[in-house]
Amino acid sequence: MSNLHAQVVVLGSGPGGYNAAFRAADLGMDVILIEKYDTLGGVCLNVGCIPSKALLHTAKVIDEAEEMSAHGVSFGKPKFDIDKIRDYKDGVIKQLTGGLAGMAKGRKVKTVQGYGKFTGANEIEVEHDGKKQKVTFDNAIIAAGSRVVDLPFLPEDDRIVDSTGALELREVPKHMLVIGGGIIGLEMATVYRALGAKITVVEMADQMIPAADKDVVKVLEKYVKGKYENILMETSVTKVDAKKDGLYVTFEGKNAPEKPQKFDMILSAVGRRPNGDLIDADKAGVEVTERGFINTDKQMRTNVPHIYAIGDIVGQPMLAHKATAESHVAAEVIAGKKHYFDPLTIPSVAYTDPEVAWVGLTEKEAKEQGVDYGVGKFPWAASGRAIGVDRKEGFTKLLFDKKNNRVIGGAIVGVNAGELIAEVGLAIEMGCDAEDIGLTIHAHPTLSESVSFAAEVYEGVCTDLPPQRKKK
Amino acid sequence: MANVTQVKVPDIGDASGVDVIEVLVNVGDEIDVDDSLIVLETDKATMEVPSSEAGVVKSIELKVGDKVSEGDLILQLEASQASGDDASEDSADSNESNETEQTSEGSSTEDSSQQASSEAPSKKKSSGGSRTEAITIPDIGDSEGVDVIEVSVKEGDEVEQDDSLIVLETEKATMEVPSPFAGTIESITVKVGDKVSQGDQIGSMKVTDDADDGSEDESSGDSSGQQVEKETSVKDEPMPKSDYKPAPVTVEPYERREGEVIHASPAVRRLAREFGADLSKVKGSGRKNRILKEDVQSYIKFELSRPKATANTGAAASADLPEIDFTKFGEVEEKSLSRIQKISSVTLQRNWNLIPHVTQHDEADITELDNFRKSMKEEAAKEGVRLTPLAFIMKALVASLKAFPTFNSSLAADGETLILKKYFNIGVAVDTPDGLVVPVIRDVDKKSVYELATELGEMSEKARDKKLTAKDMQGSSMTISSLGGIGGTSFTPIVNWPDVAILGLSRNQVKPVWNGKDFEPRMMLPMSLSYDHRVIDGAVAARFIVHLGKMLADIRRTIL
Repeated sequence: MSNLHAQVVVLGSGPGGYNAAFRAADLGMDVILIEKYDTLGGVCLNVGCIPSKALLHTAKVIDEAEEMSAHGVSFGKPKFDIDKIRDYKDGVIKQLTGGLAGMAKGRKVKTVQGYGKFTGANEIEVEHDGKKQKVTFDNAIIAAGSRVVDLPFLPEDDRIVDSTGALELREVPKHMLVIGGGIIGLEMATVYRALGAKITVVEMADQMIPAADKDVVKVLEKYVKGKYENILMETSVTKVDAKKDGLYVTFEGKNAPEKPQKFDMILSAVGRRPNGDLIDADKAGVEVTERGFINTDKQMRTNVPHIYAIGDIVGQPMLAHKATAESHVAAEVIAGKKHYFDPLTIPSVAYTDPEVAWVGLTEKEAKEQGVDYGVGKFPWAASGRAIGVDRKEGFTKLLFDKKNNRVIGGAIVGVNAGELIAEVGLAIEMGCDAEDIGLTIHAHPTLSESVSFAAEVYEGVCTDLPPQRKKK
Repeated sequence: MANVTQVKVPDIGDASGVDVIEVLVNVGDEIDVDDSLIVLETDKATMEVPSSEAGVVKSIELKVGDKVSEGDLILQLEASQASGDDASEDSADSNESNETEQTSEGSSTEDSSQQASSEAPSKKKSSGGSRTEAITIPDIGDSEGVDVIEVSVKEGDEVEQDDSLIVLETEKATMEVPSPFAGTIESITVKVGDKVSQGDQIGSMKVTDDADDGSEDESSGDSSGQQVEKETSVKDEPMPKSDYKPAPVTVEPYERREGEVIHASPAVRRLAREFGADLSKVKGSGRKNRILKEDVQSYIKFELSRPKATANTGAAASADLPEIDFTKFGEVEEKSLSRIQKISSVTLQRNWNLIPHVTQHDEADITELDNFRKSMKEEAAKEGVRLTPLAFIMKALVASLKAFPTFNSSLAADGETLILKKYFNIGVAVDTPDGLVVPVIRDVDKKSVYELATELGEMSEKARDKKLTAKDMQGSSMTISSLGGIGGTSFTPIVNWPDVAILGLSRNQVKPVWNGKDFEPRMMLPMSLSYDHRVIDGAVAARFIVHLGKMLADIRRTIL
């Protein structure tokens, strides 16, 4: 068994892991990056954010081409070559993971392939193809991520997949059930629907994407309602019978069909759980919570001072951009910088059609926290650009603290909402108030205008809407 | 033809934005070359600025409280034909630093004639029982270049004292500039959108004031090309010294109101975290009270300097130490510290707090040196040189500095680098009636003992006459503080930062010294070497003082 040593060992090469490794290397430390798969990038690049966005792009073009028929342009019924669609997606992954490998090499970050588990406070054992290797370290950064939550009652069957399986795009089923109306389930539903599947979504809560505000999600729900076969809110799956001719699903709850329904494919997307329980963290003395999270301080340090943890494994929200921000903090703290993970807010985006994005406080949270807030909401029905692209269902909403008119949250639903939300995040971090946003000149005609318009609505000075009631 | 000369602030070292604390002349005064015109106060000392010209003061271009830098105009002189020529010749020959403006004579007279025409109308009005006062921007805090957002009065308006004249908007608030007098507005020279700073003239007004005396009007009447502002300087009696207050420390821990939100961008929050600065205590100077990086930096600076600030003279001291009513123990008298004392108390406190001091004591046998000096005394006197031991000691000290270069260094601001100096300038602490000042004798290594003795005499005189400039007190390699003329056997001098060492000298004494056979009477000089222990190790310091002792024991060694 050969031995390796590094100042910094990073366990896991997702967005948190590789950024931590690269930042540490850029700060002059020698770094080993441990990854169980043969490509870097983790879930995000291989079986998450990136491939889903490649497929969502395909779906978008299919949908838009179809919408064109209402504008007098017909392309005819699309023909799908599922292998080629998959190839395109795989090409995107390959390009990005290959790029990562190159960047790792350029930084002299040594990558070790295998499954890493702690065997001591300064030691990880990496197993690959039955061979074991010891890696010792001065500092470790745990970036081992999360995994899909399995529903225990689901039988073992090829036709029942998680997000990873769905991204493999083996075939397009006739009838597809998506268990879980969260971001991941809805994004995959968007893809499969565009490719021709009839979609049923089942969700236990009373709205899709439960974290977001109801009015925002309502726009999405309304838009997909006619497009999906069925949307079963406040309903859950109790039983799945895998028969040869299909998967027979029994529902229970408010909108449950009486009889079991037959599906050709089931996507289980009910959430992710942290991998804290899979890495023998206890052998290093690192505490793992019952749910599998590893707690850290604001410098990403675990209860063991030289071991850090970042990303999904340290808690919600399980988002790549949060992991990336944390990764820099961890690497910089190891390098002796007094940096802290100290954001005011982290944006969330569902890349559905239409997209749903929010940042800062939601109305729900503001109410819970007893914040005296005001709302500025600009409906895209009044946006020339939205009308021009025939997508006027969306709106832009900003939340302001009534005490000082500072923006404390924002939500956007509509095409490109995920891009538009960035400005609101910056505004929150910079402490902008309604006037700051309203007085910032936005290009016309853009969807981004809706952000400044929403601020003007709050101030009562918007002239792109019918006259408002005078404020105060 | 009247020969108008501009007298400007001469080279005052690196100091810029130096406070004018006294104006010693009035319009109409006849002055000679080298007459003191104004008194400036730098962070090191006060200095009198001598006139480079002779003539009659035509106008004074600054007032107490102004900040000036090299090249700023002090006053305009009208030289009588003869004396003016003399003066300019003199200065051209003797003093290269004098700014006589001979070369730009043409343009400056052109300037003043333009001023003459533009100011002429307002001039006429100022006759009779009224006078014309310039309206200047009062103290508006640290703000510079503040926007004028409203002009509330126009020419001819009658205003009461404290009526709002214009409205300014700073980053923090809008403020009205009140009228300093009651009277009639003669002119307003700013408009909305202009930027103004403290001291800027924004116009003039006619003030009816019976306390006025006519002579000043007369004197200003001579010079038709005079600005209104200049007249006001005439009115301003030189401010009594006791009225002068140093600018208060502006950064103070900020008490945030209940529920007031902290407004700081991510980068500012990061900076605060790095220094452990509690943002809730930092006052934001940015737009809408946003905390800027600069605010965090000044807060940190303030926190670091707190021991100094609280140990400082004045009110701050009472924050830490209880105020004691001494009258209950007997009769007392209050006497304020001199300006120099106030200034040096801050620097001394800082140096004492920030520099880990160690003082090494030793005695040097200066029997031979003293015999030699005495033997040369008369010869030197013929050359007009008063040969003091200090000139020799400086030479010996330079020899030791050459042997131990770390003594001729400064610690860089980052605390991680040593800046080794290749020059040998020795500071000499001079006791003056106003307090302690430290003029620096430059290039001691290149000067003869005679030259040094002469320069020492000159510098001491300059110090006592308050003629030292900031430049005279900068750039030392090491400092000597000699109490030899008074007495004592040893003391602990405080390192004169940015130096890393200081040599204290006490009174020399003839002592019995054991030479191996018997006691011999030797003249011994007690030396106390304080040094910055961050830079200099104890062993090195001991070697240094031994080396210095050897140099002094046989001054011939210094030329080896």
